[in-house]
Amino acid sequence: MADNGSSSSSTSAVFTLNKSSNLECKNLHDYLKTRPPNVLEKLYNHPTICLAVYRELPELARQYVIRILFVEQPVPQAVVASWGSQAFSKEHVYVSKVLSELSVWQEATIPGGLLGWILTPTFKKNLKITLLGGGKPWSMSSALDTDNKARDVSFLDSYSLERWECVLHYMVGSQQQEGISADAVRILLHAGLMKRDEEDGSPVITRQGFQFLLLDRHAQVWHFILQYLDTVEQRGLDLVECLTFLFQLSFSTLGKDYSTEGMSQGLLVFLQHLREFGLVYQRKRKAGRFYPTRLAINITSSAANSRSITMLDDDTHKGYIIVETNYRVYAYTDSNLQVALISLFTELMYRFPNLVVGIITRESVRQALRGGITADQIIGYLKQHSHEKMLEEGKDPLPPTVVDQIKLWELERNRLTYQEGVLYSQFLSQADFNVLKEYAQSNGYLIWSHKEKRTLVINKNAHEDIKKFWKRYSKGS
Amino acid sequence: MGPPKKGGYKGEKSKKRKRDEDEAWVYEDDDTNDTGEEAAVPNAAARDAERNDQNIDEDEFGAKDYRSQMMLKPDNASRPLWVAPNGHIFLESFSPVYKHAHDFLIAISEPVCRPEHIHEYKLTAYSLYAAVSVGLQTNDIIEYLKRLSKTSIPDGIIEFIKLCTLSYGKVKLVLKHNKYFVESPHPEVLQKLLKDPVIQECRLRRNVENESEEFITQVQDKKNIPNFGSKPGSSEQPNDGVTSVPEDITNFYDKIDNEEDEEENALETVSFEVNQEKIEIIQKRCIELEHPLLAEYDFRNDTVNPDIKVDLRPSAVLRPYQEKSLRKMFGNGRARSGVIVLPCGAGKSLVGVTACCTVRKRALVLCNSGVSVEQWKQQFKMWSTADDSMICRFTSEAKDKPMGCSILVTTYSMITHTQRRSWEAEQTMKWLQDQEWGIMVLDEVHTIPAKMFRRVLTIVQSHCKLGLTATLLREDDKIADLNFLIGPKLYEANWLELQKRGFIARVQCAEVWCPMTQEFYREYLVCKTSKRLLLYVMNPNKFRATQYLIRYHERRGDKTIVFSDNVFALKHYAIKMNKPYIYGPTSQSERIQILQNFKFNPKVNTIFVSKVADTSFDLPEANVLIQISSHGGSRRQEAQRLGRILRAKKGAIAEEYNAFFYTLVSQDTMEMAYSRKRQRFLVNQGYSYKVITKLSGMEEEQDLMYKTREEQGQLLQQVLAASDIDCEDEKIPGEGVRNVASGTRKVGQMSSMSGADDAVYYEYKKGNNINKHPLFKKFRY
Repeated sequence: MADNGSSSSSTSAVFTLNKSSNLECKNLHDYLKTRPPNVLEKLYNHPTICLAVYRELPELARQYVIRILFVEQPVPQAVVASWGSQAFSKEHVYVSKVLSELSVWQEATIPGGLLGWILTPTFKKNLKITLLGGGKPWSMSSALDTDNKARDVSFLDSYSLERWECVLHYMVGSQQQEGISADAVRILLHAGLMKRDEEDGSPVITRQGFQFLLLDRHAQVWHFILQYLDTVEQRGLDLVECLTFLFQLSFSTLGKDYSTEGMSQGLLVFLQHLREFGLVYQRKRKAGRFYPTRLAINITSSAANSRSITMLDDDTHKGYIIVETNYRVYAYTDSNLQVALISLFTELMYRFPNLVVGIITRESVRQALRGGITADQIIGYLKQHSHEKMLEEGKDPLPPTVVDQIKLWELERNRLTYQEGVLYSQFLSQADFNVLKEYAQSNGYLIWSHKEKRTLVINKNAHEDIKKFWKRYSKGS
Repeated sequence: MGPPKKGGYKGEKSKKRKRDEDEAWVYEDDDTNDTGEEAAVPNAAARDAERNDQNIDEDEFGAKDYRSQMMLKPDNASRPLWVAPNGHIFLESFSPVYKHAHDFLIAISEPVCRPEHIHEYKLTAYSLYAAVSVGLQTNDIIEYLKRLSKTSIPDGIIEFIKLCTLSYGKVKLVLKHNKYFVESPHPEVLQKLLKDPVIQECRLRRNVENESEEFITQVQDKKNIPNFGSKPGSSEQPNDGVTSVPEDITNFYDKIDNEEDEEENALETVSFEVNQEKIEIIQKRCIELEHPLLAEYDFRNDTVNPDIKVDLRPSAVLRPYQEKSLRKMFGNGRARSGVIVLPCGAGKSLVGVTACCTVRKRALVLCNSGVSVEQWKQQFKMWSTADDSMICRFTSEAKDKPMGCSILVTTYSMITHTQRRSWEAEQTMKWLQDQEWGIMVLDEVHTIPAKMFRRVLTIVQSHCKLGLTATLLREDDKIADLNFLIGPKLYEANWLELQKRGFIARVQCAEVWCPMTQEFYREYLVCKTSKRLLLYVMNPNKFRATQYLIRYHERRGDKTIVFSDNVFALKHYAIKMNKPYIYGPTSQSERIQILQNFKFNPKVNTIFVSKVADTSFDLPEANVLIQISSHGGSRRQEAQRLGRILRAKKGAIAEEYNAFFYTLVSQDTMEMAYSRKRQRFLVNQGYSYKVITKLSGMEEEQDLMYKTREEQGQLLQQVLAASDIDCEDEKIPGEGVRNVASGTRKVGQMSSMSGADDAVYYEYKKGNNINKHPLFKKFRY
């Protein structure tokens, strides 16, 4: 029963790499790219959106747009390509792709069969309005009498910070802050940043959630808002209206109050949500006015550009982490949020009223890595929040050995490569084994073999083929 | 304090035989059959603050949550430390009051780790005992700790400090005018002691007619405290009060500082005399009563023992930390016994020499090898006015005439040797036993087992004992016993600080990862445990890396020492590369010859040594150290080896690092895990190991050996053909079976009880490599 010997006893051992989905953080382009063209068309009906999109285009793309903005017929593609030097053709190809993806321009055939570029009519029309003026007034721009309880910038900053931290605190499950609304919880659940606990149904943070926490503030807000926009239609709100409003906010002035007059019911609901996350400030729900905060104003600008506008966390948040060469981590903090973040990749030992003592170990880092956090994220976080004493000496804020070691720990995980295979064993004779081994080897199916134990591991895809071969062989013998 | 002086352990002597007179053997820790003598340690020493911690709740992140136990003070930012309920203390090194807090913490606790920014200390029964013995009072300790802390102090800690300090350090055993007195500033303590019948017995009453219950009362006037070079009195820094230091801290600091310096200044003490024959009994009894006697030697008032004529040379300038350590020892004009911990290369011998010159009585120096006996003699001649006629070496090879000499330098094994000696040596021993030594300096005190140490103390009578070591650290934690055998730790230096100030070399530590070649790794995975060691040491990639590093540093003009515990590898590497090597069987004269060549011959820039060179080989020239095989996970060995290159290098200030310490490990073998364990001590001292996964420039280096597969294959065959004894680290006679992992401890016990380790070593000396029982071998790793 040689047949029995191999194929029936073969066990298929399947190794799958545990790929935990990583948090995807889209920027404005990535987001708009994924919208269907008709939504984009609708969006481009609003001059503000056109300006925001234009503002975020790569420099070369902005150049192209301006050059053909007032050209009423398609410009041959070859002509556009000739505007830049040959040395930068790569950039040219890239921006052409971006412009097409965003439906800023589209292809059109020029009489004579040549392909040309022309700006999408809606975009063109509304961008012109932005540049030259005209169009309808913004919904929030109605005149207001002066607020007798006007709020200054620093108040708005601390307010927005507090509101936002509230969300983060809720995520790490700390009890020291007031809760957040059911709506916000729903968004967190929808975004996969939290999930319902299997036992009691209460929301608990997910791995993606932890990665989210490690992001900088701006990226966090943007990611959160995107997730919110995903659910907007279910709430019966108009996506285009909300987006338009967001973009209008991003063009508003910090420290100035705006009127809620003339805003639609849906937009007012949206405003309340923004208020909850600290994007706008309203003293009372019915106050009739609101103040946009820094969080809202920075929202559409991508991280690279936002450096010019001071981010709020740099000046209000002092670094609090000391990392020593012996892998000790000392964090001057009493906030559960920060402790929770550090505990992602360190083993915490002691907790004093204003200090947490922990140690970075291979195990603790590997646990973080398993959860999908990368070494760079860990190092980045530690760097970003280094204590002032660490920065003082003008050297690296972190001990280089610790940085190296964290990277090495990440690298060592990638030393194994996985291959799916089928195990063949219990051959009745050495000859049988040899025949099958040779066949597998000559076809490149063989992954591993052991002569004494008469064991083979064969590529999974080749299983059928090997089986057929074995049948033929056993019949023949 | 101190062990029994006479008798008691005779039975053991005959059993334990040390056949060798003096060898550079390192005595590893095997105190396991020592249990009968543990009565010499007070009960309180067994207390452990760590236990206070067991019922503490953990917070949601797995950390011990102390928040409920302490209150944060409003001005916490200007105070430097936190005290955890388990006795761990964390200190900010960047705090304006760091200096104050640091001095204080060094006195009352053990440093755990001292990297750059935040240091960790730990309160232990021993450290508190040491604190009391240098004159700190229970209430002062608690009060100052309270003031320095950012939070309130947990009650458990206050309780712990009280428990450990209240009864300690209250009574002293003082030898004055050749009479022994039990002395105390607290009459009530003496009253209490005298109620004990045993102590009553020991009391000596001179004139019985006089009323016996009276103590001898005496007012100590301010003694001139010995100066060491510079004036200790001149306060260090002008405190400009630039930073916001809470006033209570500075006030208190000054108070404590003064107390330490001139403590007992015009202090009234009471005492009673003790019968000299009953010293040992009273010491033991006092320990049982939890009032261990601190031994102090009033050497200025000792008229029976003649002064010797040694002085420090004017050229001998003490560094600040050396002076500080000596001030702790001679703080009140008397000599205290204790241990001073300084990194290797930081000038321990100068401290020893200065101490001898301060006491100016007959001095005995004990070290652990013949080579270091020579080096101590050199040191004495260099720093003090002692000449050849005053210094006597007592070793198996150099037997100077001891009679009438004032400084005797010898080895531990020479003293404790129980075999028959030559007539000459016998005479010397007799003389040695008859002497009343003023001071006994114990070099590398951590290396000797307590058992052996006790034997030294039964033979030698000395008034005060000074232990010197670089690493008060043993894998078996028996080090604590030394505190009660010699005395408390008087001072411990901060490595990183000495390095920053240029007193010791700035060392770049690196761990070089050498991938195993395919063939070696295959064998490694399938072979039995003992051979594995040889396989990862002989890894061709490691060989090539060693060769590359040696060449690289020879070109730079550096002097390199290569360490290998494994003799097979040592010989193979050295012979292949044509370099001199030293290991156990190398004779004393050959050793000295090789070392001389290494020092002075520009052609000899690299030597290979086995673990015999771990301690006490003074090689000031060496600045590169390559370690290819080491003793399991021994933290102490790592520190000792680093010490070989720590001596400050001249004229190399400009460079960031002026010494290099490489550990070569074969990747994916257990060497990696050992390596991590070994590094813990140094990492805690603030050193950081750079991991090198690839030596740049190694590819360009031509004609490195073992390049081809064939050569590697041949090497593999050699390794596989090697006998089992080759697979082991060098066996050091007298060492017993080493305890690498916990499992081996048991083996050690079994074999030593059956006398197996002695037998092995005996045969070994005759040149026969007797195989150990295969069962024991298996347990080695």
